[in-house]
Amino acid sequence: MRVIKQKPMTLGERLYIFEALRGLFTTLKHAARGLFRYEELPTISYPEGQPEVRNTYRAKHRLMLRPDGTPRCVACGMCAAACPAHCIFIEATASDDPRIEKKVKRFDIDHLTCVFCGLCAEACPVDALRMDTKKISFEHRSREEFVAHLEDLTNWDPKDYPDDEQSQVAPGGTKNAEALKVWGMEVK
Amino acid sequence: MSNYYNMPKLPTENSPKVEIFVDDKPVMVPGDTNLLEALKAVGIETPHVCYHPYLPVSGNCRQCLVEQEGPRGRMLVIACYTPVSPGMKIYTPASSARVKNARKATQEFMLVNHPLDCPICDKAGECTLQENYMEADQNESRMRPEYGKNYHGNPAHQFIDAKGQLRGGKHVDLGPRVLLDEERCVQCDRCVRFMRSIAGSEQLQLAGRADHTYITTFPGEKLDHEYDLCVTDVCPVGAMTAKYFRFQKRVWLLSHTPTVSMDDSLGANIWLDYADGHIYRVMPRCNPVVNRSWLSNTSRLAFQEFDKNRLPSMEVHTPAFGNGKIAIVAGGTCTLEDLAAIRMLKEKLGDRAEIFGGSLLKVGEPDGIAKSGDPVANRAGMKLLGFADVADFMKRASEFETLVTVNADLFGEDPAAAGVLEKINCRVAITPFDDATAKKATIAMGVRHWSEVQGTMVNSLNMLQKLNACPVCPDENLWAAYQVVSYMAGSKFEAAADAFKKAGEYAPVLAGLTYDAIKSTGKLLEGGEA
Repeated sequence: MRVIKQKPMTLGERLYIFEALRGLFTTLKHAARGLFRYEELPTISYPEGQPEVRNTYRAKHRLMLRPDGTPRCVACGMCAAACPAHCIFIEATASDDPRIEKKVKRFDIDHLTCVFCGLCAEACPVDALRMDTKKISFEHRSREEFVAHLEDLTNWDPKDYPDDEQSQVAPGGTKNAEALKVWGMEVK
Repeated sequence: MSNYYNMPKLPTENSPKVEIFVDDKPVMVPGDTNLLEALKAVGIETPHVCYHPYLPVSGNCRQCLVEQEGPRGRMLVIACYTPVSPGMKIYTPASSARVKNARKATQEFMLVNHPLDCPICDKAGECTLQENYMEADQNESRMRPEYGKNYHGNPAHQFIDAKGQLRGGKHVDLGPRVLLDEERCVQCDRCVRFMRSIAGSEQLQLAGRADHTYITTFPGEKLDHEYDLCVTDVCPVGAMTAKYFRFQKRVWLLSHTPTVSMDDSLGANIWLDYADGHIYRVMPRCNPVVNRSWLSNTSRLAFQEFDKNRLPSMEVHTPAFGNGKIAIVAGGTCTLEDLAAIRMLKEKLGDRAEIFGGSLLKVGEPDGIAKSGDPVANRAGMKLLGFADVADFMKRASEFETLVTVNADLFGEDPAAAGVLEKINCRVAITPFDDATAKKATIAMGVRHWSEVQGTMVNSLNMLQKLNACPVCPDENLWAAYQVVSYMAGSKFEAAADAFKKAGEYAPVLAGLTYDAIKSTGKLLEGGEA
């Protein structure tokens, strides 16, 4: 064990008034910097300035798409089984494509319940679920809107993922309207 | 023990005990059975794929290998096809590395061509291959990925998948209720043996030879039989899937309620598999005496109507029964508890009330598998509690001024014959469903369905069987039929056990019994088989 002895205060410190003034000066210095040299501040003023988020950060989910625009998800329920918060709700149905067995009919993630642990993305056997959207703030008017549906999760733009080849192959977002129509999803 | 068609002999309580040596330790096992069942009886599980206790032994999977000491030294034998003999020396993986390796190799061979479909396979979670894999140390595959899977089943159903690989038929339509996945099939031929020996209609066949074998129907024929959904139960992998349950729910999300199917007087033992307030499927529950592990399609698919067309809950009140004669008719799905409550109501009303039980449906022939053909499930229970047959009532219908039907849809069962009942002024229907009788009734009261109540029934073999309540009732405020009827009689049964006790007062053979005394496979009542 290490004992740290405090230095006894000097006379100037014990008089208090000088130290108080010194503290005030520090405060004023930073306030003045915020007024005149804003860009040098070490903090970001959050709503206006956005933090830099890496794509490894566990942010909002997205569902990857096959080149034909259908979700990769095979509705196996592994993510829902792995989810410690029980916030993933999946319903499956038979695929229209004879080469594919099973497709997802409903895929809901309740982001109010989600703990962003990333176990779902880890559990996915077909790499359909990823958490690399960098979207970390969720603001909605009602509780229902916090539940991300299939349309929401597949509605992403390949331009946002320039480094990821697989995202470039998939049409992404609402671009491949034809494919989405085949899948039975509404195209806005 | 010689041919392919031998049914395995299962141990019973009366089996003679013989001493055999397992891993050099003496154990007492049932002597009139095969080694696999004998080892199971002393708690040693042997992995197996093709063996099924109620199907003829085929012995083609070679998964249940054990070592036996013989005249030429220790030999590998299959446990499912080796009869127990006194003094035999058996070695299991617990002591023999050779057995362990042999089972591991068999396991590996079986998995070589088995597709990695587990995430989308409906059988995942209750699959024999998965269980054996977990049991056999979860060895890593030594298959090189470039070789791929080489078994593709019927050449007519092969296709190139989205990744450009050759695949076997993934959803071959075998018939109106069953789909076949040829890639997943391990050729255990359980389904073939089931259709041949149990269903008695040889509709499935193994075609081709060696590793080109595949399951198929005869050309132009479909798999269509009253018991064809049993092939999805006996299938150890996800090759046979039921269309009604396909992709509905992952099996590990289902909870199970053991109960008894109340649409037939054999009272087939079933599991009600439910999740989030709905029944998703009905599975046979093994009962060696009653239905073994089979269940008819009628009983299995009946659950789809359980929550449809239901009567809502309402305030229960006692109808004014008037001064004339009263007939109380109990339907086939009434439990003993319901019958006891009806009997109590009759005693309160006095001599002017008469009780009848049964239905207007025709009684069929037993099929020897899992149906007795009698649609009145609790007919033996009605006899015990002194109910007259409903045919009696139909003859004398004009005598009565009030008719109370409990779970009995007389108008729906035989509209022509039930026409005479319309002359009865006051008709009270106590039923779960908004059926024809409820529609024609003066008062209709909703009650719980038999899948949602605790109770007992006596089946056609005179066995007392227990029903358990599955928590899927669409309306929590609904009362069980015995509660409604006993309320009318003046003292409401709060619990099913009270009603069962009351039934004991009316039928001495039930006196002194409690629910705990009834085993899950039922209890044979005194007096033997009816």
